[in-house]
Amino acid sequence: MNPLLELSCSLRVGRLDVAIDARSENAVLGVFGPSGAGKSSWLAGLAGLRPARSARAVVRGEVLFDSAAGQLPPAHRRGVGVVFQDHRLLPHCSILGNLRYGMGSGRPGPTLDEVVELLDLEPLLGNRPAACSGGERQRVALGRALLAAPRLLLLDEPLASLDRGLRREILPYLRAAAARFELAMVYVSHELDELLSFDGDVLLVEEGRAVACGPVHELALRDDCLERLHDEGLLFRIPGRLSDERAGGLAWVELAGGGRVASGAFEGPRPGSGGEVELLLRPEDVILARPPFEGRVSLTNQLQGTVARVARTPARTLVEVRLADGGPALLAEVTERAVARLELAPGEAVAALFKAQATRCRSRVVT
Amino acid sequence: MALGLQLTAAELEALRLSLEVSLAATALVAVPGVALGLLLARCRFPGKLLLDAVVHLPLVLTPVVVGVLLLSVFGRGGPFGEGFAFTRGAAVLAAATVALPLVVRSVRTAAELVDERLLEAAAVLGAGPLRRLFTVVLPLAAPGVIAGLTLGFARSLGEFGATITFAGNIAGETRTLPVAIYTAIQSPDGDGAALRMTALSVLVSLVSLGISELLLRRMRAQAVRDRGGLR
Repeated sequence: MNPLLELSCSLRVGRLDVAIDARSENAVLGVFGPSGAGKSSWLAGLAGLRPARSARAVVRGEVLFDSAAGQLPPAHRRGVGVVFQDHRLLPHCSILGNLRYGMGSGRPGPTLDEVVELLDLEPLLGNRPAACSGGERQRVALGRALLAAPRLLLLDEPLASLDRGLRREILPYLRAAAARFELAMVYVSHELDELLSFDGDVLLVEEGRAVACGPVHELALRDDCLERLHDEGLLFRIPGRLSDERAGGLAWVELAGGGRVASGAFEGPRPGSGGEVELLLRPEDVILARPPFEGRVSLTNQLQGTVARVARTPARTLVEVRLADGGPALLAEVTERAVARLELAPGEAVAALFKAQATRCRSRVVT
Repeated sequence: MALGLQLTAAELEALRLSLEVSLAATALVAVPGVALGLLLARCRFPGKLLLDAVVHLPLVLTPVVVGVLLLSVFGRGGPFGEGFAFTRGAAVLAAATVALPLVVRSVRTAAELVDERLLEAAAVLGAGPLRRLFTVVLPLAAPGVIAGLTLGFARSLGEFGATITFAGNIAGETRTLPVAIYTAIQSPDGDGAALRMTALSVLVSLVSLGISELLLRRMRAQAVRDRGGLR
């Protein structure tokens, strides 16, 4: 089967030579890497905002442009939308004027009403951008991009200019928009937790080159990626559904395949019971124990599973634990000494323990 | 009035003519002036430097030379046949020629200051170069357009050298205020008339600059409000 997204672009930016090819089976491709790695330049090349040596984009089998075939229209005829880090709303137009600016491309896309409703823009329509808050402006910028009905939407660190609280507020909107309008999206960020909120693959970029591409979870277990991801604050996510229990003031989450975990911190708006949520957790906060485990400990979260893989770099060891019955997988960073002492090897039964306070829980749906 | 502004019919005629000619000249340069300003600010094309120089020539040449050049192009024996020099139309053209570079400069500076990032945003929303020019550059450069047009109008009011060379000094046809003042000084008992018309010129210029300042303040205030908190 052809990949859903095939993107490639090469260009020179100052001293950096950027040449990145990416393929993704999912509609959303995350791009992750340190600043200065060429992520934004790559997007600008794809969008036609920077001259590129070569550029090609295929979305769901449709060739949007291909420089090798001499088919490289200017930015305004590529059908590629961009949400920038800075909102770039037109200051002399109302919010409504901004939203309408890109409409009328002739491509099928969402209607004004749909976008206004999804992004909660109704109260802003008559304002000028200057009268809106940072989070509102970025929501408008997203809405404006959606209404232009792009065949491919590039998001260049769209939340980087916002503080953490606002990011949490807007992420669910982004996710909802991606799902509702079946967008083909490239999402650039240097915040892993933003990329984790989409289910797609992540492309790891360094010095203008693609290092690897795959789910974060998979990348973490590759020795050429682990160090890099770890430097940027490696996180993984555990999906689940919020239960109605609120014992101990914690958020209790039912995992697929059984099991329940508690999180001490709920971020952003809280969905109702049964709402889709995810826990974010660092591998270094997970403790492994060999059953039978009978000590009395304060840890709320104790999950049974089996060791799936043990990945090593010279500096660290990461163990993948698959929870019972088709549940999600966990990553635990342990010492090499612990691996030897507990005789951790694929197939061995193991318990994963972590504090409720070490996790963050957030909604995956707009509430 | 205190200054003894008891104007004679001829002086009033000169005032009316001056206003008419200046308004016509401003109207004449508005479209090409704005277009040239935008073109020079936002486009790259061969011969740009030459065009830039030609447009700005009237600013540095003495107006008499401009008048002679106009005469050689539009006067008798020029490529456009005869009869155009020494008419009211010639006075308008002379004023327009010297006003043009002021409009172009003002528009160009304002258009160059428009944030490139907004144009990129407009491009990825599907706006082609022309639409970007009309929906982003022009509205954001509007204060520069107003400033340029007022400056051009004021310059037209004061135009003398090119006018007297190209359009002559015909009462009721091409004798604008500056030309009338010059004529008055030439006559032995014209000092009073020259002074009255000088006062009149200052007054008209002050009023036109005042109106433009008011307009600009409003636009700037709006622009500042629009930019408020925006980067």
